[in-house]
Amino acid sequence: MKQNKLGKYLLIILPVLAAVYLMWPTYRFYQLDKQRSEVSADSAALEQWDADNGEAFNKARSARIKLGLDLRGGMYVTLEVDILKLIDESADPTSKDDEFTKIVDQTRAETMNTDLDVLDTFIKNFKGSGKSLLQYFTVTGTQDVTEQAVIEKLKRDADGAVDQAMEVLRQRINKYSLSDVNIQKQGKRRVLIELPDVKDEREIRQLIQTTARLEFKRVLMNKDLLTAIQMVDNVMRGKMPAEDSVAAQVADTSKKISADTAKATQVAKADSAKADTTKTDSAKKSKDPYAGLPQEEAARRFRADHPFSNMIIFNAEGMKQPMPVGALDLSAFPEDAPFVLYVSGKDINRMMAILERNDVRKAMPGDLDIQISAKSEQNGQKGAVIPLDQQIFQVYGVAHEAELTGDVITEAWPNFDPTSNQPVVNMEMSTEGAEKWAQITGRNIKKRIAVVLDGRVYTAPTVQNKIPNGSSQISGMANTEEATILAVVLKAGALKAPVTIIEERVIGPSLGEDAIRSGVMSTGISMAFIILFMLMYYSWGGGIADIALLMNVLLTIAALTAFGGTLTLPGIAGIILSTAMAVDANILIFERIREEMRAGRNLKSALEQGYSKAWSAIIDSNLTNMLAAIPLLIWGTGPIQGFAVTLLVGTILTLFTAVLLTRSMFELVVASGAVSINIGQRKVA
Amino acid sequence: MDLIKQTNFDFVSKRNKFFMASLVINVVGLIAVFVFGIDLGIDFTGGTQVTVAFRKNTATADDVRGALAQLGFAGAELKSFGKPGQFLIRINKTGNASEVSAQIIASLQEKFQNDQVEMLGADNVEKKVSSELAWGAAKSLTVAFIVIVLYVAFRFEFVYGVATIVALLHDVLMAFVISALFNKTGWLNLEFSLNSLAAYLTILGYSINDSVVVFDRIRENREKHKGMPLAELVNLSINETLSRTLITGAAVLVALLTMVFIGGDVLEGFAFTMFIGVIIGTYSSVYIAASFVIWYQERVRHKRVGEVKHA
Repeated sequence: MKQNKLGKYLLIILPVLAAVYLMWPTYRFYQLDKQRSEVSADSAALEQWDADNGEAFNKARSARIKLGLDLRGGMYVTLEVDILKLIDESADPTSKDDEFTKIVDQTRAETMNTDLDVLDTFIKNFKGSGKSLLQYFTVTGTQDVTEQAVIEKLKRDADGAVDQAMEVLRQRINKYSLSDVNIQKQGKRRVLIELPDVKDEREIRQLIQTTARLEFKRVLMNKDLLTAIQMVDNVMRGKMPAEDSVAAQVADTSKKISADTAKATQVAKADSAKADTTKTDSAKKSKDPYAGLPQEEAARRFRADHPFSNMIIFNAEGMKQPMPVGALDLSAFPEDAPFVLYVSGKDINRMMAILERNDVRKAMPGDLDIQISAKSEQNGQKGAVIPLDQQIFQVYGVAHEAELTGDVITEAWPNFDPTSNQPVVNMEMSTEGAEKWAQITGRNIKKRIAVVLDGRVYTAPTVQNKIPNGSSQISGMANTEEATILAVVLKAGALKAPVTIIEERVIGPSLGEDAIRSGVMSTGISMAFIILFMLMYYSWGGGIADIALLMNVLLTIAALTAFGGTLTLPGIAGIILSTAMAVDANILIFERIREEMRAGRNLKSALEQGYSKAWSAIIDSNLTNMLAAIPLLIWGTGPIQGFAVTLLVGTILTLFTAVLLTRSMFELVVASGAVSINIGQRKVA
Repeated sequence: MDLIKQTNFDFVSKRNKFFMASLVINVVGLIAVFVFGIDLGIDFTGGTQVTVAFRKNTATADDVRGALAQLGFAGAELKSFGKPGQFLIRINKTGNASEVSAQIIASLQEKFQNDQVEMLGADNVEKKVSSELAWGAAKSLTVAFIVIVLYVAFRFEFVYGVATIVALLHDVLMAFVISALFNKTGWLNLEFSLNSLAAYLTILGYSINDSVVVFDRIRENREKHKGMPLAELVNLSINETLSRTLITGAAVLVALLTMVFIGGDVLEGFAFTMFIGVIIGTYSSVYIAASFVIWYQERVRHKRVGEVKHA
């Protein structure tokens, strides 16, 4: 009996603890978010806040309950790959004729408003015309030149187009550092994008619809690049004297900067050294301008003096420890020494923003671009300056002019090198492209050529020899996945991944805010009404039911959080329905108990009878609803699924909270020696 | 508190009248809906739609219509909804929603400089997607209906499964008819969209729950009072569950009514449909679901008796 009692207590307490544990990040997130928005007006304070609380904030953010776009506002876009356009574009333009155009148009008309497979319909129509696909399409990379090979190539291209669109969009959207962005593949031909908190929808739309630009550019890792980087520093320092407030106090306002010579850096350094020394009165004319300062203070001043280059880490072969570019003495730097530059993942957006500024652009040499690698690298022992656990990206200097644009690529596919068995990517070019490629590769033997898509460098292989026929092989991929992505990217040159927006929804931020506020408030008030009602009508029994009811709602939301689900408006409807059913279950039970009490049973047996007789109705109605929710979950679209999820979770929990939990509570009351309990029944004289 | 005493109303004998009344309301309502037209949301029609709010409510519908005509959207459909100063603008051709909405907002703001024009939302749904959404909704609902019939038939009898569906259809249809007609008043936005579909699904769930509770009592009483005629059995069961039916209904209605009044733009329409649905659901669990079982059983029995006579 005692153990039994303990079990019942655990039954009641454990779910509460679980719910609190799961909901804690949500509470924490809103608390931190409020703090953050309070300091957000001051950028220095914000940076400080992010440094102090960023980790906790991100942790809470990722574990909190996610609200759907209908509740928080934002933009939702569904893209579909336009297969017909893809077919049309991948056909050999010289052999396209009226017949071909007719088949394309016919297929478009047939598939416009149906969900027929476009490719299948095209092939069917094509076969009907009696022509051969080989007439219009060339297949490379295989010996087997048949119609089937063409069909397979088209299928591959169609599937690849979705991946390509996703890869491009992910890079572009990342630039905006929006939170909770969701980009996912839907079926085989669609990409779904959810962007909460979008400021300018038109910009995003443009971003989605701009076709990707693939270019081959010469890599210029030389002294000019380092000079350019330090020049950006000068411009930045001239425009905004100090980035953080501490530096502002010490920065000499009379600092004069001439940004047009490479020596400017040295001058500025000396200048700030002067400012520093006058303040600190020590280490006069020392070679290190920060000598004698506490380490932290020195670092802070260094950052202020090098607003751009402090983000870029220099690493050369044989160097013991990487260091920020700003700390390099360029006068002693050899002209063409090999080196690598890195930037921490968290600094990329800041860096790109600086590079896009007009004044910075003007100051940059016209023939040089600074671009960042698309994929992060393992942060090996590059240690010291960028913490080990952070993602790092390579910073490249590339020629402004492209050697070649990607539209000459006809095919690219991941492969394995037959001798080394390492993953590689094979690439084929058109005749015209191959000619140019031969010249380019001939000119650049032992030099590096970067593959740049949308301004991000995907790889920068060293040219081993002149490639005469356009058939190239790129090696140096760490794994097959990397090779696959590179092939997708290279194909972006061949195919413009024709995607069209088939669904677009924008929920204005004011509607989102209003919706949350009035939604939460009204839900709260209606819950309060139900709770009061149950208390009034069923007295103590109602109180027990109320506890169960609150737990039902809390656990439903907690379960949704745990599965990483999203709470939407229809989801709230599902919660309302399951709440109603939970209340109903208790009403059924209480009415039965009252009936049994009226029939003269004592408390214990009335409880027992009440629960067992109400059980069949409760299980049947809840199970029917659960079973009805399952097809809605499987075949329903967005909002219907949202409803089905919360209904399913809620009804399952109803069986637990409204039946098992309330019963345990009643039994604990009985076990404590109560012989009667007020569930609002009429007093029997 | 214990408001509802053990009752002994005669619900069953009046069942035909209520049955007829329900039938008439549904049929007349449906005809009215077809006469006045169903306001399908953008989800199911496809097209482009922009919702705007004039925070100071200085513009009339005609003003907005005029401004739209100047922009080249002469055929645009305009509707006011929710709070005063809120308009829903629907453009027939599909196209760039964010572009169109930005255009509309900018030009409205320019035209009504004293007011503050805000975009509440913009949607663009291609015809292809809207037909897919409609098809997906229809498919999942059909399967859900079949599952319900099968489960109820399995737990009770086949006729109870059919009766559940009859009550379901009755409830959903009547709530739909009332909402569709009510939408014409423009007080709330009650267009038939994917979101409002969730409200109908809720009604469906509530209706199942109500029917099952009454059926459960009938199942129990049939064991307890062997030999009692079905009509009497049903009447007894309805009376015995009446207090539960009314109290649950009241609790849920209070909650929903709160949402109708303070739920905000997004929840109010939704809660209104559910509110109507719960009233109808409560009524139907008394008069429709169980009555259908009696009607069906008697008809079948009657037939069987007839057959015996002929033989």
